[in-house]
Amino acid sequence: MSDSEDGKWGIAHVYASFNNTLITVTDETGAETIAKSSGGTVVKQNRDEASPYAAMQMAEVVAEEVKAAGLEGVHVRVRGPGGNLNKSTGPGAQATIRALARAGVEIGRIEDVTPIPHDGTKAPKNKRI
Amino acid sequence: MSERSVSKQTQEKRWYSVLAPEQFDRDEIGETLAEEPDQVVGRTITTTLGDLNQDSSGNNTKLTFKITDVGSDTAYTEFVKYELTRDYLRSLVRRGSSKVEASITVLTTDDYRVRLQPVSFTTKKADRSQEQAIRRVMIDQVHEAAADRSFEELVDSIVEGRLSSAIYGDAKTIYPLRRVEVQKLTLEARPEEVAAEEEAAVDVDTEDVAVDE
Repeated sequence: MSDSEDGKWGIAHVYASFNNTLITVTDETGAETIAKSSGGTVVKQNRDEASPYAAMQMAEVVAEEVKAAGLEGVHVRVRGPGGNLNKSTGPGAQATIRALARAGVEIGRIEDVTPIPHDGTKAPKNKRI
Repeated sequence: MSERSVSKQTQEKRWYSVLAPEQFDRDEIGETLAEEPDQVVGRTITTTLGDLNQDSSGNNTKLTFKITDVGSDTAYTEFVKYELTRDYLRSLVRRGSSKVEASITVLTTDDYRVRLQPVSFTTKKADRSQEQAIRRVMIDQVHEAAADRSFEELVDSIVEGRLSSAIYGDAKTIYPLRRVEVQKLTLEARPEEVAAEEEAAVDVDTEDVAVDE
């Protein structure tokens, strides 16, 4: 990977659940936030917060800020709700990565960091109508 | 107003470039932003072995470094964690074959306490007794490796895969193995911490312990 060339890199933490998508771009240690966005900043209706469209809009805004901060690219860490909840990522994850790439931010490693329990509490029971 | 104060804040922050430990040739592994040099200490930075050595075969290995010291605009790190990526580990798991894991805490010759987690994958489903035998070999090999190595040498032997190939050579007579890896290595305590624990520890005689007979 082109990490060693000049130009700073960051980490894009993408938390994609089925109700919302959160994007936070930090430096490589994860200690300093450079840009962040969530579904509510771009759509009006609550149920649209997790939509791929919202994710795209958010990613564009974030990409702008990232470039302004002087970062060349980002490594991506996607996660779903995890724990004893759903282990799969929501609809916003894919869209975010694609939109970031299209906005001219280089994408490095993509990693799944969904928390997986080594056994813990029981999962919630299935919702009935 | 608020916008102005934000931009003022970022102006005061400076970038510190993070260097790998001497063991990994002091390569630059990243940069971090902070107002005060003190804030940088204690942060961790994760990179892959492939990035560090410029070869793509090491892309399944994550190395974590912790910042211990700060110069004028550089930060120095120590090695704290070695880990396989989750997707690589998942790709090794197959249906109808066994996965034998072990978690072992050992003390190296220079008094670092390290936790190692080797893992073996067999070609077909192994019996419980075979799994136990493989696990025994893994535990013995790790103890043996730690007994005559310093922390740095131990980390080197794992990064270069010598420990896993030693386990493979020993355990393949028990059951055909597909792959042996060290899935995780974490630094648990440094020599000073181990010494402090020993200082604080109290010897308990057997007669002081109440045992119902």
